Amino acid sequence: MSSADLLQAFREAAIRVGAQVKFFSQAQEAAAYISDQAGGLILVPPSPALERLDLAGALRKRGCDLASRDFRVVAPQAPAGVSGANFAIADTGTIVLESTDEATRLATTLPERHFVLLDPRKIVADGLAAIPWVRRLQQRRPRSFLAYISGPSRTADIERVLTIGVHGPCELHILLLDGLSDDFLEN
Amino acid sequence: MNKQRTQDYKQRIDQALAKPKLQEALHKFGDAYLVSRANAFAGLDFEALRREIGAMKDEVRDNREQLLAQFMDNARTTGAIVHLAKTAEDANDYIADLAQKRGVKTVAKSKSMASEEIHLNDALAKVGVKAVETDLGEWIIQLAGQRPSHMVMPAIHMFKEEVAELFGKVTGNSEPAEIAHLVRVAREQLRQTYFDAEMGITGANIAVAETGGIALVTNEGNARLAATLPKIHVALVGIEKLVPTLEDAAKVIRVLPKNATGQFLTSYVTWITGAVPCGEGEKELHIVLLDNGRSTLAESPHCRDALRCIRCGACANVCPVYQTVGGHVFGHIYIGAIGIILTAFFHGLDKAAEIVRACIGCRACVAICPSHIDLEGIILHLRSVIGEEEGIGAAKSIVFKKVMRNRKLFHSLVRAASLLQKPVSKGERTIRHLPAYFSSFTEWRTLPTIAAKPLRDLLPQVPQKVDQPRYRVAFFGGCGNDFIYPEMGLDLVRVLNRLGVAVYYPEEQNCCGIPALYSGDRETAVELAEQNVKALLAENPDYVVTTCPTCTMALRRDFVEHLKDNPAWARQAEALAEKTLDVSAFIHNVLEERIPAGTASESETVTYHDSCHLRRGAGVWQEPRALLEDAGYQLKEMARADRCCGFGGSYSFTSHPPISREITKDKVNDIAASGAAVVAMDCPGCLIMLRGALEKRGLPVRAAHTIELLAERLDRD
Repeated sequence: MSSADLLQAFREAAIRVGAQVKFFSQAQEAAAYISDQAGGLILVPPSPALERLDLAGALRKRGCDLASRDFRVVAPQAPAGVSGANFAIADTGTIVLESTDEATRLATTLPERHFVLLDPRKIVADGLAAIPWVRRLQQRRPRSFLAYISGPSRTADIERVLTIGVHGPCELHILLLDGLSDDFLEN
Repeated sequence: MNKQRTQDYKQRIDQALAKPKLQEALHKFGDAYLVSRANAFAGLDFEALRREIGAMKDEVRDNREQLLAQFMDNARTTGAIVHLAKTAEDANDYIADLAQKRGVKTVAKSKSMASEEIHLNDALAKVGVKAVETDLGEWIIQLAGQRPSHMVMPAIHMFKEEVAELFGKVTGNSEPAEIAHLVRVAREQLRQTYFDAEMGITGANIAVAETGGIALVTNEGNARLAATLPKIHVALVGIEKLVPTLEDAAKVIRVLPKNATGQFLTSYVTWITGAVPCGEGEKELHIVLLDNGRSTLAESPHCRDALRCIRCGACANVCPVYQTVGGHVFGHIYIGAIGIILTAFFHGLDKAAEIVRACIGCRACVAICPSHIDLEGIILHLRSVIGEEEGIGAAKSIVFKKVMRNRKLFHSLVRAASLLQKPVSKGERTIRHLPAYFSSFTEWRTLPTIAAKPLRDLLPQVPQKVDQPRYRVAFFGGCGNDFIYPEMGLDLVRVLNRLGVAVYYPEEQNCCGIPALYSGDRETAVELAEQNVKALLAENPDYVVTTCPTCTMALRRDFVEHLKDNPAWARQAEALAEKTLDVSAFIHNVLEERIPAGTASESETVTYHDSCHLRRGAGVWQEPRALLEDAGYQLKEMARADRCCGFGGSYSFTSHPPISREITKDKVNDIAASGAAVVAMDCPGCLIMLRGALEKRGLPVRAAHTIELLAERLDRD
């Protein structure tokens, strides 16, 4: 599949599982989107790609309230978390996020909104194509916590009615940003 | 047999049948599941995928000791503490002891069937540790003091009003019975638990030998929290969850959500390898590997394929028995078809003894299983094991062992019965009411009478109208065709004669043995297999044809299995298997013929009912449809054409008539809704059931065997 096909397939699959998918060419635009949607305190865990972009700076300039540490204390009050992504899987609309650092895990599991920035060049076709990268990530950090995230948290445990947002984020916003990072090992 | 146990079980069935709302919910779910599943697998070759998983899991079974050692080494290298628990007690002791040592007061649990299997919550409660289930469905049933009724959707048997009441007791408020609101309540109520808990307990869907890591396949996000916030993480993992490599894990993940709920992928797949950072330090990760009967299962040549199971729960989703009574009846801890087998090995044969008889044998589970397990075959084996341990009941034992094995005695008794039934049949072909004790048999269906003359007497008198036959075939009538519907056999002769095939009826043939086998009397089934192989091959026919797909399965599958270790019979059984097929498949695939519509001017509408053993046993379903359409019948498909009719032989007469009755009702409703004038099928058993049920309901739909409908076309030429 060409990269355009992968992007198209990823977008369709991610929307199918209830994610919001937005395209941006500038970090400023992405920051504006997050600022509009966050609804309060934003958890920003360490992320090489987002730091290069100075996303935190851009958000602060817009008057956003950010937290970058003590997540265990502040997370229960934070409606939003922001992260990068190592890469994505097209056929299931999945974000792959190495979340070994606890801050990344807390920022992406506790808040109601998860904003994830992804470079559209980092998309593989399917679950099997993802495995060589999973292996490399696990080899690089033998003690690791790796998350596949496909859409928001969901349940159908009451009368089999699909209901969004039970324990994890109720909203997943995928922000595709050109030129963010082409390195599958960083997020 | 244990009378009290059986009585309790029957009472549970009656209680479940008294809840039509549950049945309706499970039926709706079953329908919706099939639609989303088909969508999720679109463009993928399910047969190839499941063969691949089956083969991979077999490799794991064969190399389990080495893979287990590899997993444990790798897990330890990454800082995990690994404990191999031989028994449920061992696992419970380990976890309870750890909780005590670390001063744990509260445990945040995510969904784990293995923890249900060992009753871990009870073990923790005994040492004063409170385990809080955080999966929504598990929390609901924990509050209700129940057990899961489905492996993937534990609270599938409950309704929002009941959930609202349970949640109201927790919040102290009156909670409205709105699902979105109730989900919100669960989120808010359980949130603090993750922070308070000193220990998180999860299961694992996969354990990867290559890395020593686990994978959790979930939707709600609670497992991620339970594995992240508490200082200690205990993962309880059945050793059958092992796979060799990450690629193998990906193959399981590709299939599991699609087959479980029809999702392409769950919201989360979480790969955890080793002790990850936690707070200021690092996580204390314990991996408890649970055996508890799994190694014994691996050693059982008849049952070990069950270890391939990836716990998708699909075998329950499509099971007509499950849809009728739910998982609290059709299961112990594990439910549905796989539940029967796992119960026998994890909880003991006694716990499985009743539910092993609850399977109607329709093989819907076998067709949907993503690990390619012949669930029905294993259940039949377990039934015979229990039959040998506990006996199959005195009446059945006499019928099978003393009567059926002696063909002449069996057949003379059937002939005698045809005379004895006259007071109730009043000379008609169906019995509408039976007196006193037997009246329940005809409460919801009429029963066919035993014919005055069996096919074995009639057929030799019919002249074979074929000069230079293309083939000479032996006709295996089976009891239904022989003694109940002999005219169907004569129709077969006429149709095959017309197509240039000579037919003869080997007189020494006996019952195919399925009734004995399904009742747990394997010994009689083996004896009958020998008798039939001998009788059918005696004159070296070109083919052996049947009108009954259950007999076909016996001839093609069971005889080979029964006689495989017997040097005198093994090769002959295989030879018979190769020659045997159902008459529709014979006409369509071997003769490559059709019966033309002839002068039929009006087009009669026919809906086709797929008999379980024809569709899922022999893989034949297009053939009869093609023959009927060629013969000028207009096909109108019914919904769920391949769902069981509820017959199941003795299942509908003696073992589970109340369940049969419901399954038949569903089928008759689907037939009626199709609007067709005729329902066609290729099985005398289905015909007994559907003809009788349609007649009792007074519905103007005729039930007929395909061969009868084809023979009628010959009359019009």
